[in-house]
Amino acid sequence: MTQISQLPGAPLLEVSHVMKNYDGTRPALDDISFSIGKGEFVAVIGPSGAGKSTLLRCINRMIDVSDGEVRFEGVSVSQLNRRDLKKVRSKIGMIFQHYNLVERLTVIENVLHGRLGSKSTLSGALGRYSRDEKRQAMELISMLGLAEHVYQRCDRLSGGQKQRVGIARALVQDPKVILCDEPIASLDPNASKVIMEQLKRFSNEMHISLIVNLHQVDVALRYSDRILGVNKGRIVFDGRPSELSPERIAEIYGTELSAPRVRYAS
Amino acid sequence: MTNALDTMSGTDRPVGSMVASVSRLPARPLTKEKVVIRLLLSVLAVTTVYALAHLDDGGVNLLQAASDTLANLKIIFLHPGGPHLSFLKALYEVVITLGLAFLATLFGAFIALFLGLLGAQNLAPKPVTNVIKAFVAFVRAVPTILWVLIFAVTAGLGATAAVIGMTFHSVSYLTKAYSESFEDLDRSVIEALKASGANWWQIVFQAVIPSSSTYLLSWTFLRFEMNFANAVVMGAAAGASGVGFDLYMASGYYFDLREVGLITYLILAFAIILETIAIRMKNRIKDDQA
Ligand SMILES: Nc1ncnc2c1ncn2[C@@H]1O[C@H](COP(=O)(O)OP(=O)(O)O)[C@@H](O)[C@H]1O
Ligand SMILES: [Mg+2]
Repeated sequence: MTQISQLPGAPLLEVSHVMKNYDGTRPALDDISFSIGKGEFVAVIGPSGAGKSTLLRCINRMIDVSDGEVRFEGVSVSQLNRRDLKKVRSKIGMIFQHYNLVERLTVIENVLHGRLGSKSTLSGALGRYSRDEKRQAMELISMLGLAEHVYQRCDRLSGGQKQRVGIARALVQDPKVILCDEPIASLDPNASKVIMEQLKRFSNEMHISLIVNLHQVDVALRYSDRILGVNKGRIVFDGRPSELSPERIAEIYGTELSAPRVRYAS
Repeated sequence: MTNALDTMSGTDRPVGSMVASVSRLPARPLTKEKVVIRLLLSVLAVTTVYALAHLDDGGVNLLQAASDTLANLKIIFLHPGGPHLSFLKALYEVVITLGLAFLATLFGAFIALFLGLLGAQNLAPKPVTNVIKAFVAFVRAVPTILWVLIFAVTAGLGATAAVIGMTFHSVSYLTKAYSESFEDLDRSVIEALKASGANWWQIVFQAVIPSSSTYLLSWTFLRFEMNFANAVVMGAAAGASGVGFDLYMASGYYFDLREVGLITYLILAFAIILETIAIRMKNRIKDDQA
């Protein structure tokens, strides 16, 4: 895949006509198309079960699409063999609601895991990290304010600290895109603010594109450059935060938001 | 308030009568199984009584025999020592037994590490874990001594067959323990590492094994302790040398009770030491899981 260089002007990530059917009843994703440029901060909002997680997992092919195509740096992700898929995944970071760290290992060990995708199987399995890799990991850990926890086991950290380890693990990959699946859904407001601000900062400074699944509309409005509204597997809104009117929000959330209002009125 | 009390006592009565009617019900009807079990127990009781009544004691005076046994026990436990075996020599034999146990544990741990990975549901596909589970269950169903005898056909009765036989059981025990330790690492964590481009071997050696290393060590030591006891028995039963063999010779061949005493005390001492460490290991597993 390295032979095919990125076409000039081609978007970093291009999702076209993606369908995902888990079991054949109702598609989880229904004809999804959008593209994302370098450094863009995109929030994906929508009711639970709308297909937000499914969408993210199709991008790095943690699940296969049923139809349509995902192109990353101009290369169709669904065509890749195992080795090239590993390369593509190493350029796409991922952050999760439940952090998904190896809890019994230390902060630095977890952060260094982000380098495994860029190493050969053997040197990765043996954990032979170069001095540069270790220095980079340490720098990121300090930048995220975890300097005094470097050698602490992750199960001793608070939720917000764990999520910062998750961010460091993604950043150490040197990613072009970071996919964030409800990164603040388990955090209190203060920790949430810290995490969102750090994501915003890295997106700006390192020109990393972010796709962030969120269920708080106000957070999406405050931090993102662009919002995708998803309902029942379809994109029903794609625009700037300023364009997101209460009517459009009601449309994205369907009956979930409008139903209570009707009940209060009566 | 009184109303509420009234209704409460009102509802009380029917409940009470219901309980009474339940207790008046006859015990569950006799099932076929129950009949069979009762029949079997009666037959056993009758034969036991009959056998005791018609015991052929070969003219042994029971009282005399009992006091002789006590005297022998006194020699064994109060006057240990022996002409054939110095204390140092006995200690050396214990070390050989420890060596047998160590070898069996080492081989077992090495094989079980790989089988354990294939048997962990978060690391291997379901058909593979099922095959591993079936294999482990099969090996465990056959007693250690039978495995030793099977391998004695090719290796001859002795240390080699004993170690191979004990290795078999260690593999089955440790495979189960290891794969359960590996399964402690959530599937979602493994997914996260896969998403960043790490592959199976990297995930196994950088995440799965390091995060369960405490458990692995503890389980391995627990097995070593069990293997020590097994190795004593194998020394006697399979001629696998070590202190078990000396115990067998002293008790069955020289009939040297003082030597039996010496060996028993030595084995006991080592067993207690190993058991103490093993208990600590068990607590460590429990603490970490809590
Ligand atoms: N592994 C799966 N197997 C079958 N159905 C799934 C699976 N994951 C998600 N779904 C279904 O797909 C739809 C979208 O789910 P998801 O992407 O998790 O939504 P969201 O993240 O927006 O809450 C839901 O109806 C859900 O039940
Ligand atoms: Mg979701």
